[in-house]
Amino acid sequence: MVSSLYGVDQETRSIWVYLEGSAEHLAGVSLELIAKGREMCDRLSWKLVGLSLGHQVAGLIEEGFAHGLDQIWFGDDPLLEHFTIEAYTYAAHQAIMAGTPSVFLLGATPNGRDLAGRLAVRLRTGLNADCTNLEVKPDTKRLVCEVSGFGGGVLAMIEMANHRPQMATVRPGVFSPGEPDFSRVGEVIPLTLDFSRDLIQTRLIKRSIGEEIDLTQAPVLVAGGRGVDGDFEMLTELASLLGGEVGATRPPVDEGHIGRERQIGQTGVVCSPKIAICCGISGAFHFVVGVEKADTVIAINSDPEAPIFEFADYCIVGDVHQILPSLIESLSAEREVSIV
Amino acid sequence: MPEVNADLPDDVLLIDDELWEELLALTDGAAAECFQCGVCTATCPWGLVRKKPLSVRTLMRQAQLGLRAGDNSLWLCTTCAQCQAYCPRGVDIAEVFRGLRTIAWKHQQVQAGLPSLLWSLHWNDNPWTQPPSQRAQWAQDLDLPIFNSQMHDILLYVGCTSSYDRRGQRIATALVQLLDAAQVKYGFLGDEEPCCGEAALSVGHRPFFEEIAGQTARIFDEHRVSKLVTISPHCYDVFKNHYPPTGIGFQPLHYTQFIAQLINEGRLKFEKALDIKVTFQDPCYLGRINGQFDAPRQVLKAIPGVELREMIGHREDGLCCGGGGGRMWLETPVGERFSDLRVEQALQTGADDLVTSCPFCVSCLEDSLKISNAESLEVLDLAEIAAQALIN
Amino acid sequence: MSELHIVVCVKVVPKPEEIRVDPATHLLERSNVRTEINPPDMNALEMALELKEVHRGRISILSMGPASFEPHLRVALAMGADHIYLLSDQAFAGADTLATTYTLSQGIRKIGSVDLIFCGEESSDGATGQVPPGLAEWLDVGQLTLLTEVSVDRTRNIARGRREISGGYEILEMPLPGVVSVKTASNEPRFMDYDLKSWAFESERLTVWNADDLGADSKLIGLAGSPTVVTELAEAPFRERRREFLVGSQGDVTQELLNIIQRQL
Repeated sequence: MVSSLYGVDQETRSIWVYLEGSAEHLAGVSLELIAKGREMCDRLSWKLVGLSLGHQVAGLIEEGFAHGLDQIWFGDDPLLEHFTIEAYTYAAHQAIMAGTPSVFLLGATPNGRDLAGRLAVRLRTGLNADCTNLEVKPDTKRLVCEVSGFGGGVLAMIEMANHRPQMATVRPGVFSPGEPDFSRVGEVIPLTLDFSRDLIQTRLIKRSIGEEIDLTQAPVLVAGGRGVDGDFEMLTELASLLGGEVGATRPPVDEGHIGRERQIGQTGVVCSPKIAICCGISGAFHFVVGVEKADTVIAINSDPEAPIFEFADYCIVGDVHQILPSLIESLSAEREVSIV
Repeated sequence: MPEVNADLPDDVLLIDDELWEELLALTDGAAAECFQCGVCTATCPWGLVRKKPLSVRTLMRQAQLGLRAGDNSLWLCTTCAQCQAYCPRGVDIAEVFRGLRTIAWKHQQVQAGLPSLLWSLHWNDNPWTQPPSQRAQWAQDLDLPIFNSQMHDILLYVGCTSSYDRRGQRIATALVQLLDAAQVKYGFLGDEEPCCGEAALSVGHRPFFEEIAGQTARIFDEHRVSKLVTISPHCYDVFKNHYPPTGIGFQPLHYTQFIAQLINEGRLKFEKALDIKVTFQDPCYLGRINGQFDAPRQVLKAIPGVELREMIGHREDGLCCGGGGGRMWLETPVGERFSDLRVEQALQTGADDLVTSCPFCVSCLEDSLKISNAESLEVLDLAEIAAQALIN
Repeated sequence: MSELHIVVCVKVVPKPEEIRVDPATHLLERSNVRTEINPPDMNALEMALELKEVHRGRISILSMGPASFEPHLRVALAMGADHIYLLSDQAFAGADTLATTYTLSQGIRKIGSVDLIFCGEESSDGATGQVPPGLAEWLDVGQLTLLTEVSVDRTRNIARGRREISGGYEILEMPLPGVVSVKTASNEPRFMDYDLKSWAFESERLTVWNADDLGADSKLIGLAGSPTVVTELAEAPFRERRREFLVGSQGDVTQELLNIIQRQL
């Protein structure tokens, strides 16, 4: 049997969370993992620790404690200013070997997945990807990860008996971030890292973060067909209230109401959002292929025989021009209430 | 490609004799007869929808000279054969286009989207990227018998589009109602129904098509299929004209021919009067290419209360819907679709229903109808109209 | 300058919609399930083929699995790859990503003279995305992941790639040899070359290695090399749509819709 670099006997009863973010703010997925970690640690009376690697990002410390971290292991080095797989794997490895946590959670972001994949091999431990739920069993004290496979057709529960840390990545949006309490305090453990420039072999030539639309990552998709009569402003308002994106079927794109990059379907984009709201869409086959992976499909169409209803979970026979404004009004009202 | 002599000026075209020989072999010398009169370009429907027509003549000339078209014009052709109908030399122009496409595949120079089409045929046995195991799901509540040569007179060959496309499934369901009403002894092959391979042939991948056809013919042989009825004229055409002979030999029919036969034999009667005005879209692969214009009209005539008004350009002059030649899997910009024009022509007849007998025509015409915003017209398949006229 | 040698890791996976879990044993039913080449690996292979066209190169397909993988791997030869290396041994079975990446890395060491290792972003079955970084770690080489474009500069002996990240992209370089993972659907894989096809299916260009051939450490392969253990397996509830019609006044319907949306988010 392969052995991890340290086992159950050497573990410190703690859950570590890898912290990602900018100089000012922790990334959404890190806040979500902190909240989940806090919940698990409260039940077990374990310590919740954040691992921060970067350069001059001390601004994150207060936020980390406010959201529930007990400790932050803080690696600050000019060589960590930008993410490089070599420097970050090295630093994370040093920190983990010093802290020997039971569990190490990372966000399943592009860099998070790269780091987790490399680190798990370096530590000779197990790693579960894209977990949809996590629990540390009170009796065995083992982390049980729920993952889906085969395109979502199969659900599996996975654990590790002896290998530590028990590593897992979680996609943004699976858990919810908690509310910060800025009266909380915690302990900062500075990391001494000793590595040279030679370690870093990857060179970043350019980074461009812009307004690129990625419909495939949207948690909510509001799609419009011929039945919306080109009123995509209404759909955009709804989408933005729900934190989602707007898509369209072929006819409105053809007629120039919306750009081709928003076309959903066989010759357009295939999405897998949590919710797809199909407005004024008849449900032609080549469109449906683009949303059939959505968790929940809601369809609104004035024609009770529209084929889209066969593909939907919730069906509304009605006029989108009446139903959507009504929905938008209710959502806006709620939003005002919560801000106050 | 021939060796390039670096000393030649840039505007010299080099003739590739090998390409010409290859094309001759692939198409049985079809392009040799062309004497460049240009009637093909003049009759091609692309000239009706675009400012710049598709110069079929130029492509034929390039082929004769062993040149390959550098752009995507080779993939515009829907193989509707309107040009062939007028060609004074009887050149099998569609065959030449398929031959040129076959050569294009050898050089991996094909329009984007087409490799994915062939991969779908390879991994899924259908061009729609749908799961093979779900092919017969459309029929799960219909209790259709699995074909057994001892019990059944005909094999109902559903085809990929009617199996997987929701709109196409409605055509299949309607046809089943007609067959049951006539008490036909039929069965289908369920999940095991093999693809006919027309999609591969239409985009010119001859070797892949031959592989599919060989496998499908073997399956028909194993099941001892002697007579089969198709829903799509494309399946019908490929079985009739491009398939290798099987051990026992099989006779393909398009469902319009079979239904017309049933009516003539008195096995199918339409009791309900529909009281509608219809116009009929002749599918290219049934009509112009295989000469079958009468059977669908006989069926319409047998339905009481149906008044047929022909569109301008019908039978041999019917306008293609734009879906053939692989174009069902390629995007055509709005305003350049043959079906947009066809819907206008249908509206001009004042008909209530635009009736056709091809799942591709139904799909293309319905898309165009949606854009036209015309409230007064509906696109229906002949099987659906006929099923409406059955009692019960 | 020697040939650019690219190893493309290919996994043969069950078609996702065909997967069933036996409700009694809670094991995957693997018999009679149709399989295919993991679609992202097709994108990786296409990208490697494009590089092969630009540089004088050769492509080795590497796969870990049973002999039944062979016909699918020969499809890769028909697309233009040069040789197949199949790592096949009962002892490799039951591997999670730690054991899989170890085994593949042993295969790559044995193949030798490798400039680049290409992988698909993830597999359609496990979808962990852990093989590319894991492989890079075992081999102690660099990694560029989620690439939509890649180029090689042979004089500087580096690979340069365009990497997709949330809301944007990066241009990165790494020295060779290194591991590249290719973003799913970033290209359209070319169809098989039918002039190559009969050669591809009849040729000798297949090498099969077992654990002994690889000199693999038995503690690091298969079940023994896998820290993670599946304790429960179930078919996710079949996504038959509910088709529930919401009826009532507009106010009622809007409220119900709101509840549904909020429950989901």
